[in-house]
Amino acid sequence: MRAFVFRRLLGLVLLVSLSVCCCWLDFSLATSLRPAARVSGISLLALLVMLALFNARKKLPFLPLLKASAWMQFHIYAGWFAMVLFLIHIGFKLPRGALEVTLAILFLCVTFSGLFGLAISRWSPARLTLHGEGLIYERIPALRAGLRREVEELVLGSVAATNSSTIADFYQAKLRAYFERPRYLWSHVLGYSKPLHQLLSELEALDRYLNAEERKTMTQLAELVRAKDNLDFQRAVQGMLKGWLFVHIPLTYALLLFAAVHGIVAWGFT
Amino acid sequence: MADNRIDIQRPQRWDVPFWQEGSLGARRREMTEKDVDRILTVPPFSRIDPKKFPASTPYRGVLLNDTRIRNFSKGDIAVREGDYGNSAFFILSGSVEVVLERLDQSLIGRRAPQRKNFFSALAQLWRNPSQPEVRSRRKLARAGQPVPSWERDAPTNVFLEDVSVIIQGKATATLRPGEFFGEIAALGRTPRTSTIFAERRCELLEIRWQGLRELRLRSSEVKDHIEGLYRSRSLKTHLRETPMFRHLGDGDLARVAEATEFQSHGEFEWHASYNRVAELSQAERLQMEPVVAREGDYPNGIFLVRSGFARLSETYNHAERTISYLGRGQSFGFEEVAHNWRHKEQIPFQHTLRAVGHLDALFVPTLVIEQYVLPTLKEPDFPDPCVPKAAGQLFERRSGPLKQIGPETLEFLVEKRFINGTATMLVDLDRCTRCDDCIRACAATHENNPRFIRHGPVQGRTMIANACMHCLDPVCMLGCPTGAIHRDSRHRQVLINDLTCIGCGLCANSCPYGNIQMVYPRDAKGKLFYDQFTHSPIQKAAKCDLCADQITGPACAHACPHDALLRVDMRDLETLSKWFNR
Repeated sequence: MRAFVFRRLLGLVLLVSLSVCCCWLDFSLATSLRPAARVSGISLLALLVMLALFNARKKLPFLPLLKASAWMQFHIYAGWFAMVLFLIHIGFKLPRGALEVTLAILFLCVTFSGLFGLAISRWSPARLTLHGEGLIYERIPALRAGLRREVEELVLGSVAATNSSTIADFYQAKLRAYFERPRYLWSHVLGYSKPLHQLLSELEALDRYLNAEERKTMTQLAELVRAKDNLDFQRAVQGMLKGWLFVHIPLTYALLLFAAVHGIVAWGFT
Repeated sequence: MADNRIDIQRPQRWDVPFWQEGSLGARRREMTEKDVDRILTVPPFSRIDPKKFPASTPYRGVLLNDTRIRNFSKGDIAVREGDYGNSAFFILSGSVEVVLERLDQSLIGRRAPQRKNFFSALAQLWRNPSQPEVRSRRKLARAGQPVPSWERDAPTNVFLEDVSVIIQGKATATLRPGEFFGEIAALGRTPRTSTIFAERRCELLEIRWQGLRELRLRSSEVKDHIEGLYRSRSLKTHLRETPMFRHLGDGDLARVAEATEFQSHGEFEWHASYNRVAELSQAERLQMEPVVAREGDYPNGIFLVRSGFARLSETYNHAERTISYLGRGQSFGFEEVAHNWRHKEQIPFQHTLRAVGHLDALFVPTLVIEQYVLPTLKEPDFPDPCVPKAAGQLFERRSGPLKQIGPETLEFLVEKRFINGTATMLVDLDRCTRCDDCIRACAATHENNPRFIRHGPVQGRTMIANACMHCLDPVCMLGCPTGAIHRDSRHRQVLINDLTCIGCGLCANSCPYGNIQMVYPRDAKGKLFYDQFTHSPIQKAAKCDLCADQITGPACAHACPHDALLRVDMRDLETLSKWFNR
């Protein structure tokens, strides 16, 4: 059996077993009139702290604190388990009161942002690999500036060499804005390639106005359009892969804060 | 001078003479002109013509700066089996004992690696400087000062407590004054093959490999002497380590050794043409690789790889398909020779063997194998039956784990010579989220200076990142004038001694993979260091050190949350295969 398949199966079996045990324990405590909510609440808070420690672990790569990939696996399955504990803690009912509702919303936001992050972490790398040349995110603005310079030189050179303004007019009308800044980011994120095809078909449509020299320029231009499309794609998808953490992590801290307040309040009034 | 610079003297080759290097402590003995005079009376040094040396590296200068005299008491280990040696020894007085068999590692003082402790590792959190490439002025401008012991490939001064008990029943040989040892490892960038210790009180002249290279280059006496030793010593050791010869007695082994031919294929300095060759088509590249043995030819002998790499390929329609690669210690042709000896039906070589870059091979003729090896071989030691290629089974058997990797990736690894790596960084692009946690971890463990680039050649979903691969054949070490780039004798990484690096850039230019960067050191405030005479900025070579001093091991692999990064020895085909098929 492949290593990842085995790991997933093992994680799943552990998660289901632990969830069933917790449901049974909660039911047992509740039927024997013991403070079941307190037990599940404290467990959930402890689990949330452990989940949040993953970020701290990332800041300490020089300490022998297990491999980050082991932490990641724990983070994924413990995250699922936290959802089970949360449902047990709220008794599978909607929460009441401002603090509880806020806390529940925060918990769901953190959970779903985490699930979103997990999903894109698994699907997007292969999309990046398949799409074209892999690029370092920080270098993309410089590469875009280089492409823009190249296109401008090509267009100006074409005007000078052919005495024709067809390509220059098209550049002014369509390509200038395209090369100036990142474009169609949402299309790239959603895997929608219509803008590129539309631009390329508009380029092709110019063919009847071009002479042989201009056709060579147009072929080069089409290559540069594709290169820019790859830049935008890499920026959009890599940006999404980096950006979701800017939602997940601050929400986690807010959740921990609210959970602590909720714990103190619940403790004080019990 | 402007405020943003510090003028110092540019480090020179002989700023740190060999006698000042290493952790000799109280045993350190200054190399004096009187010592040089003494050495010049001893053959073969007395026979060397000083006029053959250029003015920049005079003969006396080589002896004064690239050698040192070390005294050993009875039982002191001079070289240990398995260590990567950067020096050779010449016996001035006394005698040493060579242990021809493997010794228990704990007996020869092999200790656990020295790494940062927990608290010094943690201190990196606040001690890392804010400026890149920060060095202390005191360390950088300390020409002529001894190099700290922790920076150097420390010589072994381990003592064998009860020599007679330890070597009881082991085969040994005695070397006497006037003999060299350790030259094979020093010149071949290979590990020491034997443990050698002082039989009684002795005085040894240790020559660092830069000096040995000069002596060999300028003096035919030293060259002939060393090559003669190389043939007689290395050959027997190599044959003894090869499974098919292991059962042979001393007499038969000597006869096999006598009939063995040395073969050298390809360019020794293959790295010089690496980038040019990389631009050629696959077919052109293949044509440039010298054929050692061709598929379909009569198997006139077997080939044993002594150093370098070989490509094993087979004809596939109109082209050749790579099916495996061979490295040091592996053999070619034994299956065919054994098959022909046992069966009436004769078969030719089933594959083509080509040198990838440079290949040193030993050739043992079929007649010798049939006369001494095959008749004495026990049934389980015979190779698997050789099925002619048409059946397609030989490919299955030969490829083994490599078959799991896929032919395109295999071609890529051999073509680009990534098979040279012992810690190649592979990135699975289908799992890598480009989060750069690996880069941040690398920076955090190297004073905020990342030592690799998450970018490099891609094949399918695998990227070979621009990180030092700690090559089996580290061509970067060729030509380093000070020995700053060296193999660590304990952990076998290729490391750069920042203090003895003079910033010449030879290693960076020699590395065919472009994995060594030249950096500009500065002080904690960001002021660059300049040579006070030429006014050009001081440079240092920098690269991945595989986190030699960290308790976690390579921080990049430790920090990857997605199991996307692997540091792997390319000889470890099992790990490689598992990783490609997770």
